[in-house]
Amino acid sequence: MPKAEELHRKELTIADADAIRREAASLAGVSPIHRLISATLRYEDKQTDTPVLIGATPYYEFVHSQYVDHGRWISDGDMEARSNICIPGVDVAHALFPYEDPLDKDIKINGNTYRVVGLMEPLGNFFGQSRDNTVFIPITTYDKYYPDLPSPESAFFIIARPISRAYVKSAMDEVTEILRRQRRVRPGDTDNFAVTSQDSLLDIYNQLTGATALVLTAVSFVALMIGGIGVMNIMLVSVTERTREIGIRKAVGATRGNILSQFLVEAVCLTAIGGVAGLIVGEVASLLVNKYSPLPAFVPLWAIAIGLGISAAVGIIFGLWPAWKAARLDPIEALRYE
Amino acid sequence: MSDATLATPTGASALEHGEVLVRDAVPAALISMRDIWKTYQMGSEEVHALHGVSFDVQKGEYVAIIGPSGSGKSTLMNLIGCLDTPSKGEYWINGKNVSEMDDDELARIRNKEVGFVFQTFNLLARATALHNVELPLIYAGMSSTERHEKAKQSLAAVELTDRMMHKPNELSGGQRQRVAIARALVNHPSILLADEPTGALDTHTSYEIMNLFEKLHSEGNTIIVVTHEPDIAARAYRVISIRDGMIEKDERLR
Ligand SMILES: Nc1ncnc2c1ncn2[C@@H]1O[C@H](COP(=O)(O)OP(=O)(O)O)[C@@H](O)[C@H]1O
Ligand SMILES: [Mg+2]
Repeated sequence: MPKAEELHRKELTIADADAIRREAASLAGVSPIHRLISATLRYEDKQTDTPVLIGATPYYEFVHSQYVDHGRWISDGDMEARSNICIPGVDVAHALFPYEDPLDKDIKINGNTYRVVGLMEPLGNFFGQSRDNTVFIPITTYDKYYPDLPSPESAFFIIARPISRAYVKSAMDEVTEILRRQRRVRPGDTDNFAVTSQDSLLDIYNQLTGATALVLTAVSFVALMIGGIGVMNIMLVSVTERTREIGIRKAVGATRGNILSQFLVEAVCLTAIGGVAGLIVGEVASLLVNKYSPLPAFVPLWAIAIGLGISAAVGIIFGLWPAWKAARLDPIEALRYE
Repeated sequence: MSDATLATPTGASALEHGEVLVRDAVPAALISMRDIWKTYQMGSEEVHALHGVSFDVQKGEYVAIIGPSGSGKSTLMNLIGCLDTPSKGEYWINGKNVSEMDDDELARIRNKEVGFVFQTFNLLARATALHNVELPLIYAGMSSTERHEKAKQSLAAVELTDRMMHKPNELSGGQRQRVAIARALVNHPSILLADEPTGALDTHTSYEIMNLFEKLHSEGNTIIVVTHEPDIAARAYRVISIRDGMIEKDERLR
C-alpha cells in the first residue's frame, strides 16, 4: 500500500529533468519519459491495444542504451514541432505490418495519426514480459494529447545515466539535492520523491531470491532428516530380517568391515535412487516453470552434483548405525535367529 | 613363536609339561584343544556346556563326535569352527592360537581354514547355487573369473554342475546339502566340519552324503562329523563320545 504522501505527491516535471541535466555533474545523460499503460494502435484493418505508449526525448536512446534499428529516432525538430511521428517496437511492427515495411506508413494511436519514422531494435524478454510491445513518440507530442491524465494510467519518470558505475552514489546524491531544491522541500523535511538505482532494484531482486533459497534450504533440510530417519528404519528392518543371512556370511568368512560396507552400500543405493528421482522431478519442474511462468528457471550442474552428493551422504549417515548393528552381530547368534 | 619341533603331539603328554611349556609350544596337530570350557549364564545359574575338553585331531583324520542331545556337541563344533569363542582354555588350529585372535583374524580363519556344513544347510535363499559356493571366495578377495572357475570345480566335485543356476528352493534337501559341502570345500580349508549334516535328510539321501564324505576323506581332507546316529558314526575312523560337556570315550575304529 502506498503511503498518503506518495498518493498526493506533486508530479515530477520536464523542468525538473532540465534542472537535473543542467546541474548534475555525475550524469552523462537524462531522459524524462511519460508512459501510458496501453494504447490502441491501428493500421488499415489491423489493430492492437496492448502496447505501452512512451513519450520520450532525443536523449532516450543513449540513456537507456536502446537504439533505433532502422529509420531514425526523435529529433530536436520533432520536440520543437510536437510532430506526430512514432517509432514502434518489433512486437507492434509485427502486429500491424506482418507483410510490409512499416517505415513512412501512417498509423493511428488512440485515434490520432502518426507517421512511422523508425523501428526500435528488438530488446527481448524480461521476467517473461516482452520489452518490445512499445511505441515511442516525442514527449512534447505526448503532452499535447495527454496533458492531464492522472497516474497510474499515465506516469512520469526521469531516467538518468551516470558517467560510469563508480558515479552511481554521487549521481543519486546530486539528483536528490537538485530535486529537493526544485520542489522546495524544506531542510529537515523528508523527500517527496524517490530516487532509486538499478543496483538497488538488483538488491531487492537478490534479497527476494535469497530469502526464497533460504526457506527452500530449510525445508529440504527437514525433508532430508525425515527421509534419513525413514532410510534408517528401513535399514534396521532389513538388518533384522536378514540376521540369518548375516550369520551365513560371517560363517564363511565375512569380516565386520565386509558386512558394514555391504549395508552402507545398500543404504547409499537407496538414497541415491531417491536423489536421482528428485533430480528428474526438479528438472521437469524447472522446465515447466520456464515454459509456463515468467520466472527463469534451470538446474545448474553444481546443483546436480550437490543433490546427488547429499543424497549419498544421507545414506551413509543414516545407514551407519544399522550397518554397524549388522556388522557387530555374533555369528552363532545370527545363525540361530529364526 | 617357537619352533614346531618343540611341540607335543598328543594331549596327554602335553598336560604333563605344565602350563608354561604348553603355552609356548606350538602343537603339531591340526586341531589342538586344551581344557576348553564354555559357560552360559542363565539368569543366576551357570550352565557349563563344556567342562574342560582336551583333544587333538591330526591332519587327514575322519572323526565322528557322538552323544545325546544337549551333551555339548554343537557347542564344541562351533568352537572348532571359530563361530564361537571359549569361556576358558586354549585352542590351536594349524599352528595358530585362536584364543588370542581378534574378530578380523577369526573371520579369516572361518574363511580359509574351516569349511562348515550345517544341519539346516544355511544357504542364501535368494542366491543361485553357484553364487552360494562363490561366497567364501568373495570374502577371500578373489577376482570374479577365478571365483567362477573354482566354484564350478567345487560344484562338479559334488556332482551338481547341472544345478548351478538353481536357487535353494528349486533343489532337493540332498542337493542343498551338497551345495553347502561344495561351499565348505571351495576355499580348500584345512578341515571340514559337519554338525549333523544328515539330520534333515531321509535315510537314502543320508547315505549319499556319507558316501561323499568318505570320498572327500580318501582324497586327503580332514573331517569332523557330529551325529547321534550310530551307523553314521561307524563310518568314521575315530569316534569321540561326549556326555554332559565332557569327553567320555575317545576310540579308534580302524
Ligand atoms: N546360547 C545358549 N545359551 C544357553 N545355553 C546354551 C546355549 N547354547 C547351548 N546351550 C546349552 O548348552 C548345552 C549343550 O548344547 P548343544 O551344544 O547345542 O548340545 P547338542 O548339540 O549336543 O545337542 C545344552 O544344555 C544347551 O541348553
Ligand atoms: Mg546340536
